[in-house]
Amino acid sequence: MDLPGLIPGNSEQPIDVTIRRQLVPMTLDAAEAVGPTWQRAGNRFLLRIPNIARFLLEEGRSIAFEAEDAATPQDISVFLSGSVFGILLHQRNHLVLHASAVLAGGKAVLFCGVSGAGKSTLAAALVERGYPLVADDQCAIELGEDGIPHTHADGRLLRLWERSIAELGLDSRRGDPMRNRLRKFYVHPATASDVPVAVGAIYVLGEVRDSQQPRVERPNVVDATKLIAANAYRPLLVRRLGQREAYFQGGAKIATTAGIFRLRRPLGFDRVAATIAALEEHWASIGLRNGAS
Amino acid sequence: MIPTLWLASYPKSGNTWFRILVANLWSNGDKPVDINQIDSTDTIASGRNPFDQSLLIDSTLLTMDEIDRLRPAAYAFAAGERPLADTGLPIRFVKTHDAYTLTDWGEPLMAGARGAAGALLFVRDPRDVAASFAHHMRCSIDAAIDFMAREDFCFDSATDRIDRQFRQRLLGWSGFAESWLDQQDVPVHLVRYEDMLADTFAIMRAALAFAGVEADPTRLDRAIAFASIDELQRQEAASGFREAPRQVRSFFRRGAAGGWRDELTSKQIARVERDHGAMMGRLGYNRSTR
Repeated sequence: MDLPGLIPGNSEQPIDVTIRRQLVPMTLDAAEAVGPTWQRAGNRFLLRIPNIARFLLEEGRSIAFEAEDAATPQDISVFLSGSVFGILLHQRNHLVLHASAVLAGGKAVLFCGVSGAGKSTLAAALVERGYPLVADDQCAIELGEDGIPHTHADGRLLRLWERSIAELGLDSRRGDPMRNRLRKFYVHPATASDVPVAVGAIYVLGEVRDSQQPRVERPNVVDATKLIAANAYRPLLVRRLGQREAYFQGGAKIATTAGIFRLRRPLGFDRVAATIAALEEHWASIGLRNGAS
Repeated sequence: MIPTLWLASYPKSGNTWFRILVANLWSNGDKPVDINQIDSTDTIASGRNPFDQSLLIDSTLLTMDEIDRLRPAAYAFAAGERPLADTGLPIRFVKTHDAYTLTDWGEPLMAGARGAAGALLFVRDPRDVAASFAHHMRCSIDAAIDFMAREDFCFDSATDRIDRQFRQRLLGWSGFAESWLDQQDVPVHLVRYEDMLADTFAIMRAALAFAGVEADPTRLDRAIAFASIDELQRQEAASGFREAPRQVRSFFRRGAAGGWRDELTSKQIARVERDHGAMMGRLGYNRSTR
């Protein structure tokens, strides 16, 4: 199975996660929680995407999948390397944020928001300005023994809608459609990072209306801490897996070591440059100077 | 479990006003609720994020038809769960502009009786809707009348970008009301915007009684005052309304009935009455032409 965007592994390193095609049940025995598309029983988690596939995740170490109906490998792989990996990262007790990230001043700068908030578009515009891509859509954060939060590069592809690609002038970097039936494409970034990097700042994306200028606000530590849990990739899993406390502690750590901010900016492709200017000014003020390298 | 009720309406028919009334009723404060903090009701049914969050699937990688097939399961799950926000309300009100349709698997999109205990259906004279909808969509009144006549008109149906809401099939002004009135899955209580304007107190009490809630008269009186069109316009002028479409300066425009008499041309009036005569008759709106 082709998993676009992933960084090739090193065969000398121990295997971390096993992915296998095998029979996957429709339900789990002794399920203690049942959602519309998922079930959980202890360390086992079953996700069913009807007409695509069923995925069984065990102990954060293995993923088994079984295709449904006429699903193509492409259909299965986009969900495997997106939604399913996200669940796996939660299962592994990572702090996983719904965010895209670029490298600025040698550190990762994260942009958090729900689907449609503009994470990928902003990241893509920054990459065009020379800031290497770190991750698109999911950012797993680990607090090292030094207490410094790091994030892992998730791969080397952006995922953008046709309209964003056109508006940002990225047609020459456009790769395959994520699914043949969708107008959402892989886009090859001009520059990308593939090693873990320290987190420099986290911005939660918001909007200002009309002709207002973009602005960065710094919430107090308590509110900033709450923002981390609220911007988890899947807040439902944070609750169900009993990880809220870990998110609050991680959030407090990030707030003090890196900084958690709200970025309120006007939407619209013609305002992206103004947003980047505001960000660069902010980076200068917090010591992430001269970002692109 | 808190019962769920759909607040179903074609746009510009009093849905938001009702939600603000309810927010004021339950906040029971001594000043009007901030229109940008109406936490008394759940988010709109077509919202993308609640779907992704409860199904744990990235909906941006699903086609619109694939999403629609999963929406009933999402609604049934939400109706059986604790509401995401603790609103303190005895009812979970969920706004929707979706007509009552079936998915291509033949299931009710809104999940039938599994999705909600019932629906309040808000309707408004289509001649007034035309003027208000044109303002909302920043289009001409003629274009709004076209949208209202088109059974295939949808919100958020672009395929080259992502919207924060899913595609909503409206089925046209007549088709919308017909779809909710004629379905047999959940009980519907009809609220006419004009009646709500004429006697807000009585209409609110009846709507809440349908929801199984008895409203305290003193609190209801105060909520009505706090949700007056003057107050809503004052708040919107001061700090905007985040639910308004971008670049629309006044979501709360007139809040009146019968404005069509001076806003529509006689040709436009005749066209609306021709397009929607049957449903107008069914809902008690008198035609000015034959």
